[in-house]
Amino acid sequence: MLAIDAIGVTKVYRSASQPAIKDISLRVEAGKIFTLLGRNGAGKTTFVRMCATQLLPTSGTISVLGYDAVRQAKHVRDLISIVPQEGRPLRALTPWDHVYNWLQIRGDSKSAARDKTEVMLRKLEIYGARDSPAMNLSGGMKQKILVAMAMATDAQLLFLDEPTIGLDPVSRRQVWTAIKDWKSKGGSILLTTHYMDEAEMLSDYIVIIDKGMIIAQGTIQELRKVIPQNIRVDIARDTLDVDTLKSYGSVVDTGAGMLRIFTFESAVRELSDLALRHNLSFTVSSVTLDDVFVYIMGNGIIDDQNARD
Amino acid sequence: MPETSLLPVRQVLLIAYMTGVLWLRRNPMSLVFTAISPFSLLFVLFVVSGGQYIHFAVAGSLVMALVGYGLALGQDISFYKTEYKVQDVFVASPVSPLTYMVGLALSELLFGLPALLVLATLVVYFGSVFSIPLLVATILLIWGAMSALGFFLSSHMLHMRNATQVISFVNVILAVLPPVFYSMDVMPDVLRPLAYAVPTTHASLMLQDIMGIPTPADWSLEFGFAIQIAYLLAFITLAKTKALWREN
Ligand SMILES: Nc1ncnc2c1ncn2[C@@H]1O[C@H](COP(=O)(O)OP(=O)(O)OP(=O)(O)O)[C@@H](O)[C@H]1O
Ligand SMILES: [Mg+2]
Repeated sequence: MLAIDAIGVTKVYRSASQPAIKDISLRVEAGKIFTLLGRNGAGKTTFVRMCATQLLPTSGTISVLGYDAVRQAKHVRDLISIVPQEGRPLRALTPWDHVYNWLQIRGDSKSAARDKTEVMLRKLEIYGARDSPAMNLSGGMKQKILVAMAMATDAQLLFLDEPTIGLDPVSRRQVWTAIKDWKSKGGSILLTTHYMDEAEMLSDYIVIIDKGMIIAQGTIQELRKVIPQNIRVDIARDTLDVDTLKSYGSVVDTGAGMLRIFTFESAVRELSDLALRHNLSFTVSSVTLDDVFVYIMGNGIIDDQNARD
Repeated sequence: MPETSLLPVRQVLLIAYMTGVLWLRRNPMSLVFTAISPFSLLFVLFVVSGGQYIHFAVAGSLVMALVGYGLALGQDISFYKTEYKVQDVFVASPVSPLTYMVGLALSELLFGLPALLVLATLVVYFGSVFSIPLLVATILLIWGAMSALGFFLSSHMLHMRNATQVISFVNVILAVLPPVFYSMDVMPDVLRPLAYAVPTTHASLMLQDIMGIPTPADWSLEFGFAIQIAYLLAFITLAKTKALWREN
C-alpha cells in the first residue's frame, strides 16, 4: 500500500510565471516517515498542500491512500491530518480547548477525546499549560498546540510542514518521540524540515527538491554516498593555505572563518598534525546529512575535485 | 463514533462553541461592543424624527445588523485563513466547507445575540407575539443568505486592506441604498424593480409588515419569501462552489 503516489505533478500558481513544482513523481510507502528537504521556496509546502487536498495541482495525478486527491478528496480528508507551516492557535483558546474539541469535531466521543487529549498534551509536555489561553503561551508552546491537534487524531497519514520550528531542543525531541510513536502504530508521515539532524533522526526516505524538481533522493545511507569521502574535518581558516587542504579532499567554506574538509580516515592524522602545527582548533566527525544537503546545493564549495581518492 | 449522519450538526455546534462561546467566555467585554453598535443609527433616526421614524429605524437596524454579521463572518474567515491557517487544518479534515461556514456563522450570531434580542423584542412590541414565527423566519433567511455571501466574499478579502473596502461597498448596496431604513413609497417608480431585486429590501418590508406599517400594493409576503429563499439558495451555491476552500 502506498501512502502517496504522485505522478508527473506540476503546479503553476496563477500569479506566477514559473512552476513551483515541475513534473514531480514520487511514491511514499505507508508506515514510513518520508521527508522532503529543500531550500526556501523549493516547493515543499506547495507539494505537501497538493497531497493534503488543500491546493489543486495544475497537472499530474496524486493518489493518497488509494484515493485520488482531486476527485476523491472527501475520502482522503477522512484519513489525513496536518500541521500547516506557520499556523497559529486561536488566541483565546487553551491547549485543551484546541485538542479536545478538535478530536470531537473529527468524530471522537467526549470520553475518547478526553483520553487522547490528555495523553498527547502530556507527551508534548504542555499538559501543565492546558488551561492557559494561547495568547499567554510562548511561541514554541503555541506550535506544540498545532502539533498536538494533528497528532492526537487517529488519521492514517500525517502531513507535518516544519512541525518543530521554534521549538527548543528538548521540545523537539518530544515531537520526535511522538512522530516515532505515530509510525510504530502503523501511521505514515510526510515531513518537511530545515533541520538536518531531525531529518537524519526520523526519515526512512528523503527527497531533496530544488526549484520544484527532485534533485536527489534515497535513504540516509544512500544520500551520504553523494559525498565520496566519509569523514569531515573542521579547521579554523586562519593562515592556512587552502591549496594545501585541497590535497586532502574537498574543501568547503562553512563561514565564520571555518573550513571543512571532506576526507578519509587515512588523512585525519596528517590534518590534525597540520592543525596542531599552526595551533588551530579542529574537530573530526563523520559526514552528516547537513553536509550532503549543502554539497548537493553546491554552496560554498571551494574545490569539489577529489585530489586523494 | 457518533452516528455519522449527525456528525455535521455536532461539528457545527463544536465550531460555534470554540469560536463563539469559548471566546466570549474569555472576552466578555467584546459582547458589549458588538451589542451597542447596531443601535447607533436607530438612535440618530429616533432623535431626528422625534420618535416618528422608530419603526423604519428598528426594521433597518435589524437588517443592517444581520448584514453586518454576514460581512464580519467573511472577515473572520479570511482572517482565520491567512493569519491562523485554521482553514488549512479544516480543509485537510473531514469537515465540509458548509459545516465550517455554518459553525462560524452561528458563532457570529452569538456575538450579535444581545442586539438581536433587543431589536426583535422591539419588533414584537410594535407588532404582536403572533408574528414571532414570521420574525424568526425573516431573521434566519437573511442571516443565512448574508453568511453565505460573507463566506463567498471572504476569498476576496484575503488582504485586510481591501477587506474594509469590500465590506463598506456591500454594506452600502445591501443596507444603505435600498429601502431598508426608509419606506418604499419614497422610491421613484423606475427604481422600484431595482429595490425589489435586493434581498434586504424584502427583509425590511417583512419586518415593517409585522410592525403594522402599510407595505406597497405591489408587494406581498409570498413575494418577499420567494425572493429571499432564491437569494439564500443562490448565495449558498456561490459559497459552496466559488468560495476558496481548496485553492487553485
Ligand atoms: N500562493 C502562492 N502564489 C504564488 N506563488 C506562490 C504561492 N505560494 C508559494 N508560491 C511560490 O512557490 C514557490 C514554492 O513555495 P513553497 O512555499 O512551496 O516553498 P517551500 O519549499 O515550502 O519554502 P520554505 O522552506 O520557505 O517554506 C516559491 O517560489 C513561492 O514564491
Ligand atoms: Mg514551506
